[in-house]
Amino acid sequence: MSQTSDQGGVLLKLILFTAALAIAPLSSYFLSQQYLWNGNSTYAAITAIVAANAVFVAYIFVSLREERKLTRTTPKGDVKETKKTK
Amino acid sequence: MSTCPPYAPFFGFAGVASAMVFSTVGAAFGTSKAGIGIAGLGQFKPELIMKSLIPVVMSGIIAVYGLVVSVLIAGGLKPTDYSLYAGFIHLGAGLACGFTGLAAGYAIGFVGDSCVRAYVYESRVFVSMVLILIFGEVLGLYGLIVALIMNSRASGPVTCT
Repeated sequence: MSQTSDQGGVLLKLILFTAALAIAPLSSYFLSQQYLWNGNSTYAAITAIVAANAVFVAYIFVSLREERKLTRTTPKGDVKETKKTK
Repeated sequence: MSTCPPYAPFFGFAGVASAMVFSTVGAAFGTSKAGIGIAGLGQFKPELIMKSLIPVVMSGIIAVYGLVVSVLIAGGLKPTDYSLYAGFIHLGAGLACGFTGLAAGYAIGFVGDSCVRAYVYESRVFVSMVLILIFGEVLGLYGLIVALIMNSRASGPVTCT
């Protein structure tokens, strides 16, 4: 059924974004503190915040593209039986 | 009255804990309140779920702000030669980040819930929802900036009398 396969793709994307939001800021904090800023922790914190917001902007782009793909593939005559049409 | 009393790290650790705890409370409130609206939207238009998860992601970022400030403050704590001045600075930084995260999560929750419900009927609500959510998010960012500025003044040579 196409609904469950759509849900599988969406779930994988969400899991990837959750992992990215958890891993990217912390790893960028410690790595940039050691290799980029010579131990300055304030700049490392700013780098971590920029990384977290980059993940967020990427999520917005992915969700917008997903919605555009969905409205293009479903033709106008195909009415899915949702709760409203039942 | 010494400059580096033995109970000074208490305030530093209290700052670490309050940054994490309060911003997480705000993020949890935002996630749950927006999730209620998304559950309502999902019944009618399940293809819009991924776009309507944006308030939840923003609440997650509020928690990340608290996490980063906690890690930042915890990196500056020392068992010896830790002045009461540094302890108070760390406490203030943690409280600044924590309570602003609480406020931001509160705003994101209410706005996310009602805007996501309105998005079922009117798709042009989406842009205004993202704008309002961004304004709510920068409240947490202001607290983070103040915490960063305060914490940068805590480091430096300390003379313990």
